[in-house]
Amino acid sequence: MQSSTKETIERPPGWKKDFGERLTRILGRDGVIYADDELLAYDADALTGYRIKPLFVVLPGTSGEVSRVMKMCYEEDVPFVPRGAGTGLSGGALPTEEGIVISLARMNRIIEVDIPNERVVVEPGVTNLSVTNAVSSYGYYYAPDPSSQIVCTIGGNVAENSGGVHCLKYGVTANHVLGLEVVLPDGEIIETGGKTPDHPGYDIMGLMVGSEGLLGIVTRVTLRIIKKPETVKTLFASFDRIEDAGASVSGITARGVIPAGMEIMDNLCIRSVEEAVHAGYPVDAGSILLVELDGPRAEVDAQMPVVEEVLRGHNALEIRIARDAKERDLFWKGRKNAFPAMGRVSSDYYVQDGVIPRSKLAQVLGRIGELSREYGLSVGNVFHAGDGNLHPLVLYNSKNEGESEKALELAGRILGVCVEAGGSITGEHGVGNDKKRFLSLMFDENDLDTMNLMRCAFDSKGLSNPGKVFPTPRTCVEQGMKPYAGHPLHKAGLGEMY
Amino acid sequence: MTESPIFNELTSIVGGENASRDPETLESYAVDGVVPKIILFPGNIEQISEIMKAASQAGVSVVPAGSGTKKGMGNKPLGADVILSTKKLSRVIEHESADLVATAECGIALADLQSCLRRKNQFLPVDPPHVPGGATLGGIIAANDSGPLRLRYGTSRELMIGMKVVRADGRIFKGGSKVVKNVAGYDMPKLFVGSFGTLGIIAEATFRLYPVPESSGTYIASFESLDDAHGAVRSLIDSALVINAVEHLNPALAGTMAERLGFGSDFNRYTLAVRIMNVSRAVEDQMKAVMDITRGSGGKGFIIGAENEEAFWHEVREFPWRSSEQAGAVLKAGVLISDVPRVFLMLDEISGKYGIRARAAARAGNGIVIISIDGDGESVINSVKELREFSESAGGSLTVREASPDIKPALDAWGGMGSSLGLMKRIKTAFDPGNILNPGRLF
Repeated sequence: MQSSTKETIERPPGWKKDFGERLTRILGRDGVIYADDELLAYDADALTGYRIKPLFVVLPGTSGEVSRVMKMCYEEDVPFVPRGAGTGLSGGALPTEEGIVISLARMNRIIEVDIPNERVVVEPGVTNLSVTNAVSSYGYYYAPDPSSQIVCTIGGNVAENSGGVHCLKYGVTANHVLGLEVVLPDGEIIETGGKTPDHPGYDIMGLMVGSEGLLGIVTRVTLRIIKKPETVKTLFASFDRIEDAGASVSGITARGVIPAGMEIMDNLCIRSVEEAVHAGYPVDAGSILLVELDGPRAEVDAQMPVVEEVLRGHNALEIRIARDAKERDLFWKGRKNAFPAMGRVSSDYYVQDGVIPRSKLAQVLGRIGELSREYGLSVGNVFHAGDGNLHPLVLYNSKNEGESEKALELAGRILGVCVEAGGSITGEHGVGNDKKRFLSLMFDENDLDTMNLMRCAFDSKGLSNPGKVFPTPRTCVEQGMKPYAGHPLHKAGLGEMY
Repeated sequence: MTESPIFNELTSIVGGENASRDPETLESYAVDGVVPKIILFPGNIEQISEIMKAASQAGVSVVPAGSGTKKGMGNKPLGADVILSTKKLSRVIEHESADLVATAECGIALADLQSCLRRKNQFLPVDPPHVPGGATLGGIIAANDSGPLRLRYGTSRELMIGMKVVRADGRIFKGGSKVVKNVAGYDMPKLFVGSFGTLGIIAEATFRLYPVPESSGTYIASFESLDDAHGAVRSLIDSALVINAVEHLNPALAGTMAERLGFGSDFNRYTLAVRIMNVSRAVEDQMKAVMDITRGSGGKGFIIGAENEEAFWHEVREFPWRSSEQAGAVLKAGVLISDVPRVFLMLDEISGKYGIRARAAARAGNGIVIISIDGDGESVINSVKELREFSESAGGSLTVREASPDIKPALDAWGGMGSSLGLMKRIKTAFDPGNILNPGRLF
């Protein structure tokens, strides 16, 4: 039995008011949001097709306050949903009707910058980019770079195990988190990991990263920072056939080169991006592949010709190496705006986050093309090709009768293709509320039962972000939902995303 | 008890030829003096599942074992009725070189896995001790064992992307996947890294791989003082060099090693060994930079000849297990990078105080210090106590990797597990309600 959203609990009259007052006693007047119009700002994350208004939103300022709130919730059987900046794309921060939202927005201090030990300690509400900003004058940076990095928070990154464009070489959030302070669902505060390596015992920290708020709330994070590379070189190559771009990716790693990033876009994306940001991409190319190498100059210099040779061997039409940082930024700008640019071509789009083994890229692309034709819906393809993370964008018009449903179904079929190829239903966006019905494509009853065993050790009442990640018999949330319709931040051009 | 029907049942699962109840064999598999009642050699995951089902129903304890190279780690087991050997699970299931990913059964010796991967010029970049002694993939994962290369590549924790495990109740589950980027469901594989066989039997694991670097170079330099040596470490870390390993050896270890390898008598000092693996030109360029940096801190040294390089790193990994006449212990401290010199000073202090001999190699860029202590029993016990107090008060840890039988009962292998201990125990209970898997080894 997977835990699911609680059945409506019979509360005595006046319970809500009383509960709100108790929260206020812990957090002060400005630490609790009650007003309906203010609560609306918290009714969804960036997957705006799902909206639920919570009972209250609380804004604790310390781990002690988080703990007291969670203890109260545990005593009263009130579910809670942690929330960072709300940039998540899987509905992971979607509230529950009977519960509260615990926003970590106020816990946004950088507690310690320790350059000699290459560590930074932050509260969860600190944004991803501000970690790099705090250390860049020392020549360091924080490696995971989800494209919402100017707004998304470290707490959210930890919950989702966020990636970015440099995962093949530098790993994901899990590889850069060294310690956590966690408030467990019943309010107990624990520490796991820390600034020092190899703590004995189970890797609780490793489990917390990517647990999507189901195991507790992270209130302090120790991060590893790394030295900026000596040099960075970026090139792009254009191809007639996207299959050649895909084969180039495996060709490059097969030659022993691990690029910092490799990104593929298909013609549909190239055209919409070019129109939106003028990155200088050839609009008639079937696809382009961006390759970024970084590291010691001698290494990059030795590997660049190898990369070019592989690309030529796979029928690259044009290869352009960025001459300077400005041109490099321009190459990336096109890629980073691929999602918002789609908004210009199509009124609605639904983004998937499947992962496949790199070597299956050409095969999977062919299959996605077939499905696209079968459903009569266009699919734009943008990939973190180095790590096999695909972001197919299913284009549709929600005003056309039945098209939303068709788009969702097609997106689901694409995930099936990814799993059949030996991959995953999500590489970085998380399962959340959106993809829980697909989790069983990857995991059988024993696998899910084991995950649930673990969850129960953390949260016997199932109150921490209930109803997410695991498939449940309940489908009421899914009914009447709409696919991704664009986050206000992206529409306003404030956040880029992958 | 010895004729209890459960042992016949277990034997029938694997077949008589894959079970042993011969007294001498049983004795050789004893764990900290606890002699097992049966050794089983299952040939596939289904048999492991049957074994666990039967064992959990009968309530007999099960200790998973690879090649036994880390048998000395952990506290004395509360029971070891069944030794479940993974020896016959030694296949490479797949090596997808284009994806830089491989899956293998966990009883495979790391050395065998590496030679298979090398055919496609790839490797799993973990270099724990005991690889020549047959250390298995499963054992390395369960003990989260690592070596100097972790500076560049991390430990098996960072490299493992999927696994298949048999639970205490016999159910087989998988966690993770075969792709390097995957956030579907909990990251279950992490839970098993360092879990010491207490949560389940790891049967298969999938790892991300790296290309074998074209070239490798190691520069070794000795310093007048500990401060100078650590100053060089600081500069190396703060550079943009891509370094595979920085090992900081204390004078006692550097002296012995230099003598063994014929490096001369100049090495009875704090010594750094810096390894770079890359394309040839990048190795050459960066070796020059390493020389400049270490010279800037007063280091004197040379590039180890290609014929000696592997031998040198072999010594760094294996030195604590060289035979010693005296009682001893092998320890691992995990401290801040900046606290490594304080551990070395502490070793000097306790050497003077207790008359012990302490040889130490620090993974200077990680804050790991491997310490080998020789001395009389009481002195070793006191030394461990002081080192642990120091490490823990500095926010770190000190674990006993091995200790001679006469002193081991007096030592706690793990030290404090901090405020998450209660949760760890709840997880253990959830996975193994009967406490049959390696009971008492971890807690």
